[in-house]
Amino acid sequence: MPEASGDAPVGAAPVALSGPERSLLLALREREGSALDEESLEREVGLPADQVRGSLQRLRSKHLALVEEEHETILRLAPKGEGALTRGLPERRFLDALSRHGGSLTPDEVTAAGLDEEERSAAIGILRRRGFLAEGPPFRLKDDARVQEGFLPEETVLRQVSEAATDVDPAIVDALERRGLVRRDHRSIKRWSASEEGRRLPIAPEGEELLGSLTSDLLRSGSWRGRTFRAYDVRAAVPYLTGARPNPYIAWLEEFEEVLVGLGFEQAEGPLLETEFWNNDALFMPQDHPARSIHDALSVEGVEGKPPAPDLLARVAAVHEGRPLPGTTSPLGPGWPGSYDVRVAVRPVLRSQTTAVSARYLARNPRPPFRMFSIDRNFRREEVDARHHLEFHQCEGIIGEEGLDLRHLVGVFTTLADAIGLREVKFRPSYFPFTEPSIEGYVRHPRLGWMEVFPGGVLRPEVLRPLGVDVPVLAWGIGVMRLAMVALGCNDIRELFQDDLAALTGGSP
Amino acid sequence: MPRAVLDTERLLSLAGRPLSDVALDDLLFASKAEVEGHDGPALTVSVTPDRLDLLSEGGLGLYLQGVLEAARGIPSYRAPPTEDLDSGFEVDRSVELLRPAIGGAVVRAPKGRSLDAGLLAEAVRFQEILHATIGRDRRAASLGIYPVERLEFPVRYALEPFGSVRFVPLDASEEVGAAEFFRDHPMAGTYGPLGRHGDACLTLRDARGTILSLPPILNGRAAGEARVGDRDLLIEATGTRERSVAEAVGLLLVVFVAQGWSVAPVPVVRPGGARSDGASLIASHAVDLPTSVLRTLGGEGPTTAVVERRLAQARLGGRPHPGGWKVDAPPWRPDLLTSVDAAEDVLLADGIRPEDGLLPPSRTRGRLRRETVFRRRFAAALLGLGLAAPHTSLLVSESAVARVGGEAPLHLRNPVSAEFAYVRNRLLLSHLEVLARNTRHGYPQRFGEVAPVVVASAGSDTGGETRYRAGIVIASDGAGFAEAASLVEYLLRAVDVVGAREPTEVPGVTSGRAARVRVAGEVVAELGEVAPALLAELGVPVPVAWVEVDLTALWPLVARHGSV
Repeated sequence: MPEASGDAPVGAAPVALSGPERSLLLALREREGSALDEESLEREVGLPADQVRGSLQRLRSKHLALVEEEHETILRLAPKGEGALTRGLPERRFLDALSRHGGSLTPDEVTAAGLDEEERSAAIGILRRRGFLAEGPPFRLKDDARVQEGFLPEETVLRQVSEAATDVDPAIVDALERRGLVRRDHRSIKRWSASEEGRRLPIAPEGEELLGSLTSDLLRSGSWRGRTFRAYDVRAAVPYLTGARPNPYIAWLEEFEEVLVGLGFEQAEGPLLETEFWNNDALFMPQDHPARSIHDALSVEGVEGKPPAPDLLARVAAVHEGRPLPGTTSPLGPGWPGSYDVRVAVRPVLRSQTTAVSARYLARNPRPPFRMFSIDRNFRREEVDARHHLEFHQCEGIIGEEGLDLRHLVGVFTTLADAIGLREVKFRPSYFPFTEPSIEGYVRHPRLGWMEVFPGGVLRPEVLRPLGVDVPVLAWGIGVMRLAMVALGCNDIRELFQDDLAALTGGSP
Repeated sequence: MPRAVLDTERLLSLAGRPLSDVALDDLLFASKAEVEGHDGPALTVSVTPDRLDLLSEGGLGLYLQGVLEAARGIPSYRAPPTEDLDSGFEVDRSVELLRPAIGGAVVRAPKGRSLDAGLLAEAVRFQEILHATIGRDRRAASLGIYPVERLEFPVRYALEPFGSVRFVPLDASEEVGAAEFFRDHPMAGTYGPLGRHGDACLTLRDARGTILSLPPILNGRAAGEARVGDRDLLIEATGTRERSVAEAVGLLLVVFVAQGWSVAPVPVVRPGGARSDGASLIASHAVDLPTSVLRTLGGEGPTTAVVERRLAQARLGGRPHPGGWKVDAPPWRPDLLTSVDAAEDVLLADGIRPEDGLLPPSRTRGRLRRETVFRRRFAAALLGLGLAAPHTSLLVSESAVARVGGEAPLHLRNPVSAEFAYVRNRLLLSHLEVLARNTRHGYPQRFGEVAPVVVASAGSDTGGETRYRAGIVIASDGAGFAEAASLVEYLLRAVDVVGAREPTEVPGVTSGRAARVRVAGEVVAELGEVAPALLAELGVPVPVAWVEVDLTALWPLVARHGSV
């Protein structure tokens, strides 16, 4: 019976049936509500047993047929038992011989009666145990022995087994089985029925092909009408699809940006290649600070930076050297040891902190109140390993407004922590060259414990006055990569620079 | 952060009472010293760079005394003026070439006590920390400790020719000349340039002519070796900066002051005869703390009693002054320079409670930069095209740059490794690396990224300009110029602009199969087929189409439209 018709659509295997499978399935469907054993099915479809068994198993693997299995035990006479049924049990023949010899038998006479050694031993043992035989040889019945009808129930059971009786004394059967006269044969009977799928599977009438793919030709011609579609094995494997997904790290950063926008922060951006002036000097970091050394900062060769506007440069130089700002008489503080060097100020470096963006932003004299944030890349000279990377994102934020103080910084941190789902926070004093007071905020992660994530403080007058800012400004620089690692469940910072295309698309293309 | 291992037992004996590890951790959490670990008798702490005093047992011990209320204010340490030295350092003009700054103090053991092994070890340990930190690896300042009993003042500080310098180094038993010392000794190998000028070297030599040390390198054994049992010690610092020298001496004093030693100044006679008594080096300095500063930084200003208590607890002095306070900071607190520094000690002394936080009412409107929104739209368009979204570093390898050729990107002067040696000027440099790292996966491979590059720019104030690009790579059978061009047209349509293609040559792209795209005369994109030689080198077995849109160039053109 032909089953294939047209191309199978990609990923949908048609259910193909061989002739015997088709015949058997039809037979099973006709007996809906009852299960048939294999012998019945053999007769029904007229096929040999092995072909029926194989086809039924294939129907079962295609989920089209179901099987129930029963186990039964059949009693049969063993060859010795058949002999015993014909000639009599050994103990019967012994008694008969005893009777023929006037109630006394010698061993030779037992042998002559046709009992072999095993039979003689069995007969003597049974008759003695039942109290019929006296001590001997010669073998004699006991004086009080009465041979009555039915005193050998084994003879009855033997006959019952031969007649396939079912209500048979099991103890006697056990005894006869031990003597090798009967055996217990175990067999399983499988009863088959059509499954739900097997009942619903379209089977074309004799001589007709089932349809495979629905094609545009079939649709245009209308020749699909009146035809039957072959069913598909819906469990078959299908092609592995991959697709584009947002980069999880970038997506997380963008979510964090939205949190800040929601809190009223305006985004700012700055160049990744900076001058030391904006990256450090304007933030009141001493020009010989260790973090500015070639061991920590990444400097670029082949290009030159330019100094800022002369008046701004003069003001920053003044605070560094502990001199009064132009137009004032008192210095803001003693500054840093040594002279301010413009050659250092114009050196190009890869930005090492997003606070440089804050410096540029403040230099543009924003009108208070202002809230600014920037989440962007920075660079430090670090060996790259599971916990460190020379390129990292930092979230810079500043709030400038009259009346702000350290308590508001604590409040902002607590709010940001809450926004990312971490509600337990604690703070301790810290230090940054450009803020005073400075604090460090910790959040408690349910699995990782306390994490140091929120460094910040109040920008020093030495930062604000040269930039022309005269309101308090709170500032912080959050290491968002660490937070992202926790949120994304990754233990290796290098995983954030994800370029494994299989991982990015959900599997190997 | 600077880190040190302290002796827990010695520290707690200074604190005045036993403390469990947990209790100690809790107490120090409110300070600028962080406990990194307890390991039996050793306590590892790290401190913020402004509180180096807390890296010494003495400094941390004084702090613990304050918070445990076992002691208040600045400990009394000034030796009676009657014990001041008549002579101290005499500075020769010759030192101005190298290390003109010098200062020092004499520390004297309390009655019945002397230098013990633990205190000597602690002083040497902390001295090395100061060398590395404020000493800027001995360049700005370096310290020496000498037994007063074995030297005779005045101590002359000069630059002497090698030929006149012979001494027994502290770690040796044989006398050597300066030339041999500078040639052979490991310490001279490391620090020699700081104390040498041609064939002359700096020396500290006492009145008997005995070499105390060759600063900043090594002490001499004869008069430069402090020993257990010594009662008076000369603390000396030389350097290139007076302030660094003063800070170094002031900090080292805390090691001894905390143990009850007294301090006397050492006068300094400069070239030309100018004399300073050295008292300023060991004296406390006053810092103004206006009440207005306390209020500005902390909100409600703390009460007078609270300020007094916190100053005393911080082991500072303080007295009311019109408009606020005069805070007295001991010499081991060089971080206290201005009013905000003093205010921090007062405001943070009792710790910072989260419940005291206030959320400032928001009077601003939050927003992303319009250019950021524009870039995100582009990134979304790439995602909509089914492109995987890698995140690549701005830095690329030497091999990536050499492989592609063309105008070299900016090179780092001090790269960490060859893998991160250049600042990319095209996303292609990074994206070819992505292809190389994914050859084990099947094809097609399609990915795109919106990310920054830096291009050299003489007109920029930093020497380079940060630009944002959208880069696309399609690696598959059949990938080619047509697909790349279609992608560019699609992306430009997405922002309502139309571009015109013209032929160009692009390094790394097959000649004759590269184009650039102009919008309103501005080049906004490049595209083409990656050269097969590159693909062979990368092990990529399929053709690759490439696109790079310059979003920084495109943005002003789009912004004019107002479509973003």
